Amino acid sequence: MKSINRKLDSDSRQVGLDSFSNRMEFGWKFELLGLALFACAWILVSCFIFTRPEFSQFKGFLPGPTLSALMDAFQDSRFWISVFASLRRILVGIFLASILGFPLGIIIGFYPMLRGLSYSSIQFIRMISPLSWMPIALLLFTSFESAVYFLIVMATICPIILNTAIGVLHINPQWIKMALNQGANNFQLIRTIVIPSSLPQMMTSLRLALGVAWIVLVPAEFLGVSSGLGYLINDARDTMEYDKLMAMIIAIGILGFLLDRLFQKLQVNFNRSWDK
Amino acid sequence: MVRSWKILIESFLAGKFDLTHMLFPIPVWMRFKQNIPIKVLAWDHTNGSAVTVRGNSEIYKFADLGGKQVAVPSWYSMHNLILQMGIRTQGLKPVIKPQSAKLAADEVNLFILPPPDMPTALLGRRIDAFIVADPFNALAQEKFNARIMRFTGDIWKDHPCCVVVANQNFIDKNSIVVQKAMNAIVRAQAWCTKNPLETAHLLSRDGERYLPFPETILARVFKSNLHKTQLVHPHWDVTRIGFQPFPFPSATRFIVDQMKKTKVEGDNSFLSSLDTGAAAQELVDETFVRKAIDETGGVHVFNSSNMEKPFTREEVVEIN
Repeated sequence: MKSINRKLDSDSRQVGLDSFSNRMEFGWKFELLGLALFACAWILVSCFIFTRPEFSQFKGFLPGPTLSALMDAFQDSRFWISVFASLRRILVGIFLASILGFPLGIIIGFYPMLRGLSYSSIQFIRMISPLSWMPIALLLFTSFESAVYFLIVMATICPIILNTAIGVLHINPQWIKMALNQGANNFQLIRTIVIPSSLPQMMTSLRLALGVAWIVLVPAEFLGVSSGLGYLINDARDTMEYDKLMAMIIAIGILGFLLDRLFQKLQVNFNRSWDK
Repeated sequence: MVRSWKILIESFLAGKFDLTHMLFPIPVWMRFKQNIPIKVLAWDHTNGSAVTVRGNSEIYKFADLGGKQVAVPSWYSMHNLILQMGIRTQGLKPVIKPQSAKLAADEVNLFILPPPDMPTALLGRRIDAFIVADPFNALAQEKFNARIMRFTGDIWKDHPCCVVVANQNFIDKNSIVVQKAMNAIVRAQAWCTKNPLETAHLLSRDGERYLPFPETILARVFKSNLHKTQLVHPHWDVTRIGFQPFPFPSATRFIVDQMKKTKVEGDNSFLSSLDTGAAAQELVDETFVRKAIDETGGVHVFNSSNMEKPFTREEVVEIN
């Protein structure tokens, strides 16, 4: 109802990810080729830089030591405990952020007045590095674990709210008009039209959140936790073992890739079921 | 594990720990600048830090630091205090400038760097020297043959470094718990003094994994004898790291006095109005540690040289 009379092109549209997130038609061959090219670039750049004699301490960044450190890590139970701990932090953090973010995004997208009220505060909060919340996280939460969750929620909630709201804004106005003509009230509108048709955008927002969550995880594990991939990266820095550091970076890359793939599968399924 | 002093302080203030340890100048700053009712209950270890330079560096004494870039772990740290003592006695001037600024021949530029980044920065020639607690000095020695320019225990004999800290409110409500914790700490200190190499093993990742470092690096720190050639004052007979629970008031007074002369970034005007003697008395609570030392077998366990007056000492500081 109130959201109908807005122009599509005046919206601050989330750009950039669409082509990345929705179109996968190039097929696995190109993807594999892309990965191979990426690996070649790493090998070339690292061989160019880190084989110099003055960088002998940094040989760990080369592919050989990195891969053998990664193999060692795979056989270490501490590594798997850390993988599990980090994954749990990421997933719980995103879950909490989406519990808060989806409803907020929907009502912000639906009611223009709320949109006006919240716009500047969301933009304000969005620009703050989540890590500046660290002292507040430590004050508010009794355990370090919950402080880490808080940081991840702070980092991921803005992309979730914004993308959900944008999803609501892009609902075909005809549907809403039609529903209004048939006497739907706001609650019915939200339940039967707004939520279902903004689901694809919500899934996109989760994928964005995933990337942001990994970014804050490594520094967040500076807090008093004793496991996690970020924790292992900090360990490797403390002891100047750069092969282990690179191995953890690659492990994070693989995990992030797999998680994104999983979210993508979910997203494609949702798109199919709702875009009929 | 908490990896930064900032996070440790914030967590302590938020009540995540009841008892913690901090670099000695931090409680001074917390008590008298921030007016947080905290008490220093005991010392942890003594010495344990060093000024480290590259193996092929031309820096052999403090006088050679003119025009150089030196990293310290925190403005309110023993390291900053001792380094600036050394710089000043050689007629040099500690300054805090951007790294790109031009330095006069008698200026030494100080800046903060997290300890884990120090060896890397030294190797990468971003800095000319750093002062920090072990095992980061040992790590630099082991990894790329860095040279210890001076052990801090060789500047100020058996100086305190970190101290045990608790909030006054907590102490008042839980004096029995605090006493038991103190007993345990002092007992551990006595054990570490007697078994340095086992301590290194337990702390390392080859032992109980309290630290991510391998045993070889920690053993370098803990094995008791320093080679005479590494020391300017071999007759002091100091160890690279030692343990001493009793908070000698003379050392507290010395630290507060030195803090007044030490350059830091930020507002430290609270120090100028501070009465050294009164501050030292107000900051430290000796009652628990005295009892704990008695429980653990008396002062001689920590080989106090002055048995008539075991709870006083003269601070020996000599810089050259």
